[in-house]
Amino acid sequence: MVSESKEFMSVEWKYEQRISSDPNLCAPIVEQLISKLDEFGWADKDAFAIHMAVEEAIINAIKHGNECRPNTTVHIKMKLTGEQFQATVTDEGPGFDLDNIPDPTNQENVEKCSGRGVMLIRHFVDEVQYNSRGNSVSMTKHKSN
Amino acid sequence: MSDFECIELDSVDDVSVVKFKDQKVMDPARIEALGEELLSLVDAKSPDKSETENQANILINFENVRFFSSGAINKLIVLEKRLRANGRQIRLSNLRPEVRDLFSYTNLDSMFDIRDGQAEAIESFEEK
Repeated sequence: MVSESKEFMSVEWKYEQRISSDPNLCAPIVEQLISKLDEFGWADKDAFAIHMAVEEAIINAIKHGNECRPNTTVHIKMKLTGEQFQATVTDEGPGFDLDNIPDPTNQENVEKCSGRGVMLIRHFVDEVQYNSRGNSVSMTKHKSN
Repeated sequence: MSDFECIELDSVDDVSVVKFKDQKVMDPARIEALGEELLSLVDAKSPDKSETENQANILINFENVRFFSSGAINKLIVLEKRLRANGRQIRLSNLRPEVRDLFSYTNLDSMFDIRDGQAEAIESFEEK
């Protein structure tokens, strides 16, 4: 389900969809988000940050949460205005313990091709919250001055 | 030089200069193709190329790139490792501030030598 609020002029964009656990489905969603960020006048720096955080959240949910199992879905909710972006990404996995994630910036981990997602989400948005089970991440970013 | 789907390849002062064709480097299929094209620069010792070209260092010029996903970073990591194993070097240049920040925050700038501009990056191969 994709819903868009269009009144006198677009003041809010809402998106909600369940996608199957296929990593190829992520890019079109992020592309759509980027076009909305442009439309709502977000600066390149903010758009880059949001694209990175949302992509990491969706890919983490698909690959690590649902382990790409074909009968599982990822639930994505996003809300964008000219001032604030919010998103929640939820998978069907058992969740994970945030305290047990290796630091990807340690020298022994830098050359690895995975493990940066959680750190990147934290870096690129202003607020990040995980539910107690650890299978749902919510994020908020405010437009930079 | 060969035609590629995802990259533009040029040679400057015996350095292979790579630019991305896409402004948004984020589509998984394109990133897979990108990875193969980058590795082909290392692996394929073409008889059509001179020994210098087959052993060239590589500069990745990001001037066209607005969005760059983790999947694409992984392809650069694989490329860097392969080049290092072959005794060759890689530089990155012309990164937008937000892309540069991504490499800094992840500590990947300890793995990649990042320069502001292409000329500086090419000169830097001589320094080491």
